[in-house]
Amino acid sequence: MDELELLKKDWNKNTAEFKNYSDADIYPMLRKKSSSIVKTLFYISIAEFVFWIAINFLPFILSDTYKERLEKSYENPWFIVLTILSFVVIFVFMYLLYKSYKSISTTDSAKKLMESILKTRKVIKYYVLYNLAVIFISIPLSMYFEFNQNKVFHDQVEAFNSKQMFVLYAATILVTGIFLLVFWLFYKLIYGILLKRLNRNYKELKKLEV
Amino acid sequence: MNKELEHSFVEQLQKHQNIVHKVCRLYTNNVDAHNDLFQEITIQLWRAFPKFRGDAKFSTWMYRVGLNTAITLYRKSKRRITTQGFDAVEFKIKAEEYDDTEEQQLKLLYQAVHQLNDIEKALVLLYLEDKDYREISATLGISEVNARVKMNRVKKKLKTILNP
Repeated sequence: MDELELLKKDWNKNTAEFKNYSDADIYPMLRKKSSSIVKTLFYISIAEFVFWIAINFLPFILSDTYKERLEKSYENPWFIVLTILSFVVIFVFMYLLYKSYKSISTTDSAKKLMESILKTRKVIKYYVLYNLAVIFISIPLSMYFEFNQNKVFHDQVEAFNSKQMFVLYAATILVTGIFLLVFWLFYKLIYGILLKRLNRNYKELKKLEV
Repeated sequence: MNKELEHSFVEQLQKHQNIVHKVCRLYTNNVDAHNDLFQEITIQLWRAFPKFRGDAKFSTWMYRVGLNTAITLYRKSKRRITTQGFDAVEFKIKAEEYDDTEEQQLKLLYQAVHQLNDIEKALVLLYLEDKDYREISATLGISEVNARVKMNRVKKKLKTILNP
């Protein structure tokens, strides 16, 4: 006899061992907090936005010299355009994230549900990549502007011999590299842990299609 | 959420709660984890309930949300990690109903099913609940042909686990 047929015979006989919840037991359950990965993902994405917005604005709030210099930079129309653009990007990402959260539905098929969650994670990933890219570009760029506008720094660098120049370049690359590595590891870790099971099950379903 | 909706939901869940219990039985191996998953499935069902239109049967709809929660959404809470194996909470099989060999076989079978992966367990659950391949394929999001192929593989896998 087929193993599953044997199991089927027993399957429904075994339900007496289950705790029979009454209506009164179920009502409080509806008010408990969910611990689903979608919720965790949502909190992570909120933290993400707060973090990157804070990174951009905290120096402005905390340091007067920075504020002064920043206000001076706004005399340059390009700087205004860039600032507006960065806000537009934030709003676009927020909108995309909102849309992809809305598309997550537990009444979809298992595969579709997994795809919606993975898509949401991708939006967060692109947002982080965007921020990393901005930082990656702005480190050498700010060096360049410092060099052109900050006279003390300019004279210092002018006086550098080739060895000191090399150290300056190496240090810039190293700092940027370490920064990127730390972030990459951090994301690998949180999403790796959070979505390990989902990825495994998604692969299992995808495997069937080949 | 209005009271009426809540009342109608609780009433139906109460009536069909064994479906949730069966999902929990398959995906967890101790009482704490069982209750935890039951709680999470209940929350997910309740959240999805306003979208439930009644064009499907409530029970059919429950399988989908229940399995989706177990396979995809549920994050084992850290409080619940225990070292207790599933042997300790074995499904009690009433001795008088079976002869020894069948009882032994069933025990092994339940253990074997627990060794399957999440997707295979879902197939087994739907199969045991007498769902046809059309419904199995719609629940998991795979084609009917693939559902059949996978089911045959699961049967083979169970055989190998039982007779290594």
